[in-house]
Amino acid sequence: MSAYEPKIIVMVCNWCTYTAADLAGTSRLAYPANVRLVRLMCTGMIDVKYILKAFLDGADGVFIGGCHPGDCHYLNGNLKARKRVAGVRKIVEQFGFEPERLRLQWIGASEGPEFQKNMTDFVEAVTALGPSPVHDAMVL
Amino acid sequence: MTYAVLKTDGNPQAAIRSVLRGLLSAKLVDAVMVAARTPYSALPMPALCSDPAKLEAADPLAPVAPFNAARQAASLLRHDSGRRVAVVLRPCEVRALVELAKLRQCTLENSILIGIECLGRMENSVYLETLKEVPDLTIAFYQSSGYQDRVTTACQACLAFQPATVDLAIRLLGHDPADSIGLEALTDKGRSLLGAIGMTPAQPPDGREAAAAVTLERRRQRRAALLRDAGDQTGSMVKLQEYFATCLNCYNCRVACPVCYCKECVFGTDVFAHPPEVLLRRAAKRGVVKLPTDTTMFHLTRMAHMSHACVACGHCTSVCPSHIPVADVFIKVAAETQALFHYEPGRDVNEPIPLLVFEDEREEKAG
Repeated sequence: MSAYEPKIIVMVCNWCTYTAADLAGTSRLAYPANVRLVRLMCTGMIDVKYILKAFLDGADGVFIGGCHPGDCHYLNGNLKARKRVAGVRKIVEQFGFEPERLRLQWIGASEGPEFQKNMTDFVEAVTALGPSPVHDAMVL
Repeated sequence: MTYAVLKTDGNPQAAIRSVLRGLLSAKLVDAVMVAARTPYSALPMPALCSDPAKLEAADPLAPVAPFNAARQAASLLRHDSGRRVAVVLRPCEVRALVELAKLRQCTLENSILIGIECLGRMENSVYLETLKEVPDLTIAFYQSSGYQDRVTTACQACLAFQPATVDLAIRLLGHDPADSIGLEALTDKGRSLLGAIGMTPAQPPDGREAAAAVTLERRRQRRAALLRDAGDQTGSMVKLQEYFATCLNCYNCRVACPVCYCKECVFGTDVFAHPPEVLLRRAAKRGVVKLPTDTTMFHLTRMAHMSHACVACGHCTSVCPSHIPVADVFIKVAAETQALFHYEPGRDVNEPIPLLVFEDEREEKAG
């Protein structure tokens, strides 16, 4: 297990979870370096293709962090993301991706420690799952 | 009045033509869209007919459909033209049309939907071959289960062979089409039309429900087998790659799909027209990359976009130049997506599309 370091794509919204990540940073809360952070204005702008592309290009896990329901800067972008994530998860799990490789979590702007905890948990969970099914397959 | 029995005297197509002719002659509709042979081929194509005398070639019961005619119906009904148009469609076509109406790509306001009880369609080539053996295939098909076994895999596994959400349904089960067929009104509009063309009320034949139940049971078994086999053949990333290994990225499946609804597909845009730098970077990263790229991405994206609305018509398989059973895996994925969202395409034009309803927490838990 020691050699395997999962690649984790984390898509976060500008207003809540990115701010939480920023807070974690300024508070010196360390989290695993496997995380590649992608900042978007809102989780509601996450196209299903972003998730599929991440998986097909070898991401071992995709984490989406948005505002708590009711706190979305654009009213309901996070709820749209929730619906899309549920649909995409159902599709990729039929082709051998464990559903746990795609996680959606609400993390508010003030929740720096929550962000740290979520990153640590998710990296641990994906490490336990092992490499993504894409590692054994040439993706056409 | 909801049910009428039409005597066919050995020619059910003629009986249907007389009904359509009645609708046109009595000015109950301005035009009828119905599958009809052209002078040049036995393969029926959707035809828009406004002259009752020009209906002789109409053959909506022929067990073939060159494509899912929901698209043609949707073009015809793109906006309210002020004319009343009747469209004669198979159940999968009606369901796709309903999905397009929900997407506001057509309006059903001034339309009259006539659905056919469908025992399936053959591939075009199979139909034309069989026609050489049996010139009167339309009758023979409904009388012999041997011919019915030649319909497509998707049709053999279709549970929605009875038209719903139509004004008038053409009924075949329980009838011997050489003797009679049924015409049932399912809406008020349909009931008034039946009266207006002078149909007399009648009882459905005794064996109707039993015949429908037998068909349904056989289809259920085929569908269970299809879902199981498709799952076995695509259950891992490697298997999925094997399944689509001969895909040419021709996108015929997307063109044939009646519910692939985007006006402009992202796979036809610059997003996937990669410059050489991108291709070389990908090759460098992985060592080797197949060209054209993004084959898996295409199929998975299509699933993510339309699997909630897939009507299981099977036309994606029919048009695949590599003979990939595209529909089998799409039908399987659609079954999962539709179960997740408690959604059934074409069930009700007022039922919202699942991705547009996101404020209930029933089926998707955060995390």
